[in-house]
Amino acid sequence: MTDTMFGSENEQWVCPNDRQLMLRAKLHTGWSIHTFQSERQRKAQALEKRELDLIMSVIHRAEQLELIEQHRIGRLVERLDNMRSSAMGNGLSQCLLCGEVFGLLGSSSVLCLDCCMKVCTKCGIETTAGGQKRTQWLCKICSEQREVWKRSGAWFYKALPKHIRPIKDSILDNRKPVIERGEQLPVARSAPISYTWAQSRVYLSESDGSDAELSECSSDRKTFASETNQRRDSESSGGQVQTPQSSFTSPTRGNVHIESPSSLVSEQSSSSSFNPGLEDEVIDHSRTLLTPPALSRAGSLRSSSTSQKSEGPQADANRDEDDLDQAFGATALVASKKEEEPDVEGYDSDDSTTLGTLDFSLLYDQENNALHCTINKAKLPVPRYKKGLKPMDHNGLSDPYVKLHLLPGASKANKLRTKTLRNTLNPVWSETLTYYGITDEDMVRKTLRISVCDEDKFRHNEFIGETRIPLKKLKPNQTKNFSNCLEKQLPIDKTDDKSLEERGRIMISLKYSSQKSGLVVGIIRCAHLAAMDANGFSDPYVKTYLKPDENKKSKHKTAVKKKTLNPEFNEEFFYEIKYADLSKKTLEVTVWDYDIGKSNDFIGGVSLGINASGERLKHWFDCLKNKDKKIERWHTLTNELPGSGYND
Amino acid sequence: MFSSSSTMTDGDYDYLIKLLALGDSGVGKTTFLYRYTDNKFNPKFITTVGIDFREKRVVYTTNSPNGTTGKTFKVHLQLWDTAGQERFRSLTTAFFRDAMGFLLMFDLTSQQSFLNVRNWMSQLQANAYCENPDIVLVGNKADLADQREVQEKQAKELADKYGIPYFETSAATGSEVDKAVVTLLDLVMKRMEQCVEKPSADANTSDGSSKLSAAPAQQKKCAC
Repeated sequence: MTDTMFGSENEQWVCPNDRQLMLRAKLHTGWSIHTFQSERQRKAQALEKRELDLIMSVIHRAEQLELIEQHRIGRLVERLDNMRSSAMGNGLSQCLLCGEVFGLLGSSSVLCLDCCMKVCTKCGIETTAGGQKRTQWLCKICSEQREVWKRSGAWFYKALPKHIRPIKDSILDNRKPVIERGEQLPVARSAPISYTWAQSRVYLSESDGSDAELSECSSDRKTFASETNQRRDSESSGGQVQTPQSSFTSPTRGNVHIESPSSLVSEQSSSSSFNPGLEDEVIDHSRTLLTPPALSRAGSLRSSSTSQKSEGPQADANRDEDDLDQAFGATALVASKKEEEPDVEGYDSDDSTTLGTLDFSLLYDQENNALHCTINKAKLPVPRYKKGLKPMDHNGLSDPYVKLHLLPGASKANKLRTKTLRNTLNPVWSETLTYYGITDEDMVRKTLRISVCDEDKFRHNEFIGETRIPLKKLKPNQTKNFSNCLEKQLPIDKTDDKSLEERGRIMISLKYSSQKSGLVVGIIRCAHLAAMDANGFSDPYVKTYLKPDENKKSKHKTAVKKKTLNPEFNEEFFYEIKYADLSKKTLEVTVWDYDIGKSNDFIGGVSLGINASGERLKHWFDCLKNKDKKIERWHTLTNELPGSGYND
Repeated sequence: MFSSSSTMTDGDYDYLIKLLALGDSGVGKTTFLYRYTDNKFNPKFITTVGIDFREKRVVYTTNSPNGTTGKTFKVHLQLWDTAGQERFRSLTTAFFRDAMGFLLMFDLTSQQSFLNVRNWMSQLQANAYCENPDIVLVGNKADLADQREVQEKQAKELADKYGIPYFETSAATGSEVDKAVVTLLDLVMKRMEQCVEKPSADANTSDGSSKLSAAPAQQKKCAC
């Protein structure tokens, strides 16, 4: 023990353990002589020289006892090795030690508990544990091994301590050199012996894996100090291993808990997205027998992007449709009259039907805040008010397409458009256009306007007719079919239009995280942004502020999404703020159009806070009320710039 | 069961067992160990400087289940004596790790030393080789009946709480001194047997006296 502490010169240097460092600190030797202590502390703790000498003499006395002990252990190990080397049998058909053959005519054999080898009853030792009536046998080697383990203190240090083995030629004159030479030998020899015992112990402690690991780990050490230090380190490292496991388990559970609702929401979203398509497909199939579903789906896919002009085969299909319509002309006329609504403006029935009819269906998906508009077909007459003039086209036909707007607040932001069909007065679009971010409030307040126009390559597009549907007529999650007469264009209420122009929609998620002590703002996506570029698109990105903000540190920006009016950002920003202070704050979200070389264009903005109103105030309150809960809402972007003096 | 012999400086022994005495300053640790090793009493109080140890060779006899005398072993005891003063605390606790058993001592004529037993238990759990080492609680100076401040009932309740044996000793008269050390040695030897022969339970229930001391040992974990 103490010999290793103040190791002799012949020994291999070992990093001192905690106890040695502690002892050196008290004795003012070793590394600790220069530790930082105030002068007063050092004087109070310093030992007098007389006290130091007394302690050193005690340690010296302990070293002498330790040396005697090392010699004694060396003799034990030597004796055990001799027994092992003198074993003659194979331990299976012969006695492990004396080599006597077993069998019917031979002596009876017993199985050693430790090494599972067979020995005769003379070479085995019967051990009877107090609590057990059944006798256990140990071969003499294993029995001696156990004795060495006990007597050397290895049971306490968990490894065979340092020892000095005897030299065969004991010459008294050379005693000191022999001892010095002997000190080097244990380093090489003790490891295999300990390892052998560790193997045996692994078998004994088969059920306790960690204990076996400690034993194996201990057996690798060669010096006493390392063994003592290793035991302490094993215990502490064992604790450290357990602590990360527990801390690792906790976030795992948290993640699982967080992910489960997200997965459910995602599944619901995907399943809900699938159902409307299926319904639309059924409707399309029932109405347009000649149109394949693939073409209809292709039309739906193109609904969000710019319309593309139809191809030749499309026109051929429409001509076939034209023949069928002529055959059922009388039936269509009767149906059209039945669905006629009271004429407010005093036109006679003939005039109201002369603008044509439009077949379409509407479905409001309340869960996803989506309004699906399926434009099926129309029947357009030759315009009579131009009877005296030259027809619009050479063949007297039109190139019709359909535009959708949400009133009030009609602007480029909420305009949707079908593709243009060429040279037909009976177009069949079979196309579904979808508005996203439609809340229940919008369904009560908004009106859908459907306009049929004639596209002209070289001149301004001509208006054919329109129809308007108040959205409150629709029931959520229920498809409603319409076959309306087209009417003249009604004047737009410009006063309402100018007050707050809509610039699109944005989906924002809010969550106050108690764990992080801050607000997590998620910018999910935008829909129907206003087009700010000449190409009919924008390059939008979103900025968020948490006001009041003295140092403008609360500014966050999303990535720029190129050439789209319906970007998906899916980005989260974190604001570190106390919960008590959150109610005094206002979250400002602005959407900008990124331009290279020019100043960026402001598309729209929205504010959430105590001063907000409507859906925004509700969202803010829900966030304050429900901690640690993620709340997603759609909000309308307006052209009002939150705050003043903002430039990107 | 135990017989003492003169201390020899050779390696002619079977086991080297290291025990350590700890407790407040002045409770009688050095005098107790001197009584045990040399069977003499020194009434003069000399403060121990840091650390010291005494040695004693004893004969330990195991108890066989059938009641006959078991094997005898020569045990060399290294009895470490620590200073109870605060200024030596960090020095003495460094030696706790190498001790196989502990004599936790307090003074029956000093209530404060008894109250500090809890603090010493904390030091042991923090610095010993494992969290539940073998400990024997010793209330010393039992001969000073007129100055007694700690009642036997109090001390026994504390010992039962920790699950350790309790002895009231007197270094002056030598009363119960040997018994306290022998009990601690018994606990250490039993733990050694359990460590080496871990698969088989070492429940020695035939002897009544060993059953009493073995019961607390069974509650403790194995050091291996």
